[in-house]
Amino acid sequence: MKTFEYARPSTVAEAVALLEQHGPDAELLAGGTDLVIEMRNAWKVPKVVIDLKRIDELRPAIRENGQWISISSTTVMTDIAEDARIQKYFPALVESAVVVGSVQIRARATLAGNICNGSPAADTAPPLLIYRAVVAIAGPAGRHKIPIDDFIVGPGKVALGRGELVTGIELPIPRQPIGAAYTRLTRRRGTDLASITLCCSVEEGGVARIAYGSVGPRAVLVEDSSGVLADPGAPDERKSEILDEVFADASPSLRSMRASPDYRRAMLRVLGARALQTAIDRFGDAS
Amino acid sequence: MKADGIGAAAHRLGGIGRVTGHQQYLADIRLADMLHVKLVKLDCARARIVSVDKSAAEQVPGVRLIMTADDLPQPVPRFGPQFQDRPILADGETKYHGEPVAAVAADTKEAAEEAARLVVVEHEVLEGGVFSVADALDPGAPLVQDPSIRADDQWARTNILREHRFGWGDVDAQEADLVIENLYEFPMVTHFAIEPHGFMAAPDGEGIAVWSTIQHPYLLQKTIGKLLKLPLSKVRVFAPDPGGGFGGKQNPKLEPLVAYIALHTGRPARLVLTLEETFQAVRRASAEVTVRTGLNSDGTLVFEDFECNFLIGAYVDIADRVVTKGSYLAAGPYRVPAVRIVARGILSHTTPSTAFRGFGIPQVTWARESNLDEGARALGIDRLEIRLHNLAEKGEEFVPGDTPADGHWVQSVQRAAELIGWDQPLAPGRGRGIALGLKSGPTTGLSYSTVRLLADGSVLVFSGTSDMGQGARTVFAQIASQELGVPLDRISVVMGDSSVVPYDQQTSASRSSVLMGTAVFNACLDIRNKLTALIAARFEVPESDISIEGGVVRIPDVEMTITEALQAGLGPLGGELVGNGEMRKDKDPSHPLGGSAAFFEFNTTAIELEVDPGTGEITILRHITVGDVGTALNPLQVAGQDEGAAIMGLGHTLMEHYIFDEDGRIRNLGAIDYRIPTSMDLPLQMRSDSIENADGPGPYGVKGISEGALLAVSPAVGSAVTEATGLIIRDLPLTPQRVWEAMTERA
Repeated sequence: MKTFEYARPSTVAEAVALLEQHGPDAELLAGGTDLVIEMRNAWKVPKVVIDLKRIDELRPAIRENGQWISISSTTVMTDIAEDARIQKYFPALVESAVVVGSVQIRARATLAGNICNGSPAADTAPPLLIYRAVVAIAGPAGRHKIPIDDFIVGPGKVALGRGELVTGIELPIPRQPIGAAYTRLTRRRGTDLASITLCCSVEEGGVARIAYGSVGPRAVLVEDSSGVLADPGAPDERKSEILDEVFADASPSLRSMRASPDYRRAMLRVLGARALQTAIDRFGDAS
Repeated sequence: MKADGIGAAAHRLGGIGRVTGHQQYLADIRLADMLHVKLVKLDCARARIVSVDKSAAEQVPGVRLIMTADDLPQPVPRFGPQFQDRPILADGETKYHGEPVAAVAADTKEAAEEAARLVVVEHEVLEGGVFSVADALDPGAPLVQDPSIRADDQWARTNILREHRFGWGDVDAQEADLVIENLYEFPMVTHFAIEPHGFMAAPDGEGIAVWSTIQHPYLLQKTIGKLLKLPLSKVRVFAPDPGGGFGGKQNPKLEPLVAYIALHTGRPARLVLTLEETFQAVRRASAEVTVRTGLNSDGTLVFEDFECNFLIGAYVDIADRVVTKGSYLAAGPYRVPAVRIVARGILSHTTPSTAFRGFGIPQVTWARESNLDEGARALGIDRLEIRLHNLAEKGEEFVPGDTPADGHWVQSVQRAAELIGWDQPLAPGRGRGIALGLKSGPTTGLSYSTVRLLADGSVLVFSGTSDMGQGARTVFAQIASQELGVPLDRISVVMGDSSVVPYDQQTSASRSSVLMGTAVFNACLDIRNKLTALIAARFEVPESDISIEGGVVRIPDVEMTITEALQAGLGPLGGELVGNGEMRKDKDPSHPLGGSAAFFEFNTTAIELEVDPGTGEITILRHITVGDVGTALNPLQVAGQDEGAAIMGLGHTLMEHYIFDEDGRIRNLGAIDYRIPTSMDLPLQMRSDSIENADGPGPYGVKGISEGALLAVSPAVGSAVTEATGLIIRDLPLTPQRVWEAMTERA
């Protein structure tokens, strides 16, 4: 690994100033579970690494204000998975957090890092899309928030300008009953990068939403308001037609070693149907 | 003596250090003034090296040497355990992805890495690389190996290294009611030892000291001595206990390079490979095995006809031996009147394949056992029944001219069938499989041991075996404990220093408990004889009146501990007793393998599983493995070896394989896209059991045990998948995608 300077700001403003000063020569360090590998392999050779872990404003990790749950950008997967409020309101996010990496990785890896890394296979992207997460950003021009769907751009790319960093991810507490479920396709049960990430929800009024990733440049969100997908009694052919549309945007890599395009497309249908059924069951329990 | 001696489930000697990070692995050893070495490699497989520009790399502060083939004696020295074919550094041409072209030695690891990136190797990628059996046998294919390496060989102008023919009876004259013929493929997989391969060397007076994570330190000593023209007494090899070897660490690889760097710079030098580099250093031979099985309608085997093509790498390493040993027993533990085996090692522009737990047997077992199941299904005979019907009985010379069956193998088969509940009804969607594996133990061997009984009654055992996690230290200490009546905590086992520890041929083929175990046993016997002589002189009694049993020495009217006897015998100056032991199994030039099997490793594996009809994912519900071990010197370690081997077998059965691009690059270098089983991928239930009849050739009737549980995993799983789904898949690994594809093709 090439040597680099290390900065440990104690405020967000300091971090922003450092980021602005060094631009593309700087990398942010939260958990480091992606960054350290990228640096070891010389895919990233930053001159400065800015460590966010000692910024007081980014604590406590998880806050609730009655309408929102806010997860700061230094919050690790283990803390998210073990938080009673997140378990209660956002169980599909917990399902995705507990399959990121291994036990050791989850004790270091952050939710914000999982999204900012911009991997099309990020496990937490589909549930964040389903739960209508909002990304809180600080930068030279001040602070703003953007919906997760606008924040995720493509492989390795998120909507952050020069000097900007994510301070947290906010999730609106659902006011209506919702049933949601996360699932993924991997080559083994232990630590693995997913060939499909998929989250479904069923909500009031027969609305079904499906977010899926790892089959294109970014995770996508599709909504079905026809009521067919959310209806356990709907005929299979109708469901099948709608699922064709839902997964029409999938463009799995032709060169991937992890799964062939045919297998991924077929598994979208299999996992989609299974997750949908779980979501329907959970919606039934919730309402 | 059950607490410490033979049969005790004694805890691993050095086990606590191993799991707490206190064990000193090679990479933990720091020598003063040590240089760090980094390899320079090309991102392609087969290329002609035009020139190497060191100028930018030399500017990196701390760089002391950038060694290329031009800096070595000319012609570039070559070495290898079977052929002298592997150059110290790529010689004009790289022959596989990752073959080192140059090496940078620098004061720090960081400087070496940075400089290695800055070395510019001008090269021309050569078309027509040989990456498969079909590529290699194409008449237009380039020759992987320079014909001068085996100039007089009839195969020198082909990519076939050698073709071997074994067998007995006349296959063509046999008449069978049913003949089943199929091709089975076995993937290229790597050992994935948790400790990466590491090498160090330092000038040592008029000679050299070499450190390596090697399984065969004495072979390394010979190799270095020959390359550097040094007597063995001037080559000191240190072999710290490796963190896993599995065959991948048997033979010298990069030690000669590091030795030349140390001599060139006059400083100690160290190279520790990355995981990615270990993929480029060692692998198992992939194989395409065609088998024709002839059966009578009652299930009697009439003939077996094998064509085994092993895809070996660019340099031979020990691959030709893998081919012969793997294929010679292709017909397995059965009574077969006619067998024909044609086996070829086929060179390719890929990582040199080497020894790997099972040594060629798993590849052939996948084919034989799967094909037998197809025969059983076609004949409507139970798969357990057909095996029992044909299985050799103890004492039967099932391979003419070789060691007769050395165990009651039927007991292992029946035990596994019982544990899996073969005769119990099967739940819907599930399948069971049962398969047998058989491997020859060592065909030759030479082990020496010295045991010292020190003045206070404690014991030092010297053994040239490498304890890479299999627990050799523990077993040797248990033997000494049993024979000298000394508790384990007063015994130390000294290994890993060629200047201190006497010669051992090698640590391979599950040999050490039998061969080195006998040498240790004999050394203890030597001590007992010397002690008897001492006591006879000291107490003026005939030797025949003295008995030594369980650490107690008895002469008429007197009983004393072995320590009291020793001290009495040695007198006021003290001192010690030194015992020497030897075990030798000589070559038999008339035998196709150069010697008959010292013992057989026999295993039965039984599996119950289910297959997800949507995704093709396999869940192993129960995995039973039963070995014929002779005697379990330490039942805890036997179970540990069985479980490790069984899980390793699940790796190549379910998920492991190298993936290449069109140009022979390994695409899945490293842990992210080369998957091995994790704790979450294990069978829901795993059970290892042993058949013990004390009928092995080692001390107390022991046989070797470390490979058996891997041999038959693939066919047992494959057979169970067939029963669960009706699908027959003859190409490993059985990934979810491959199973799904088979389901889709059928639909």
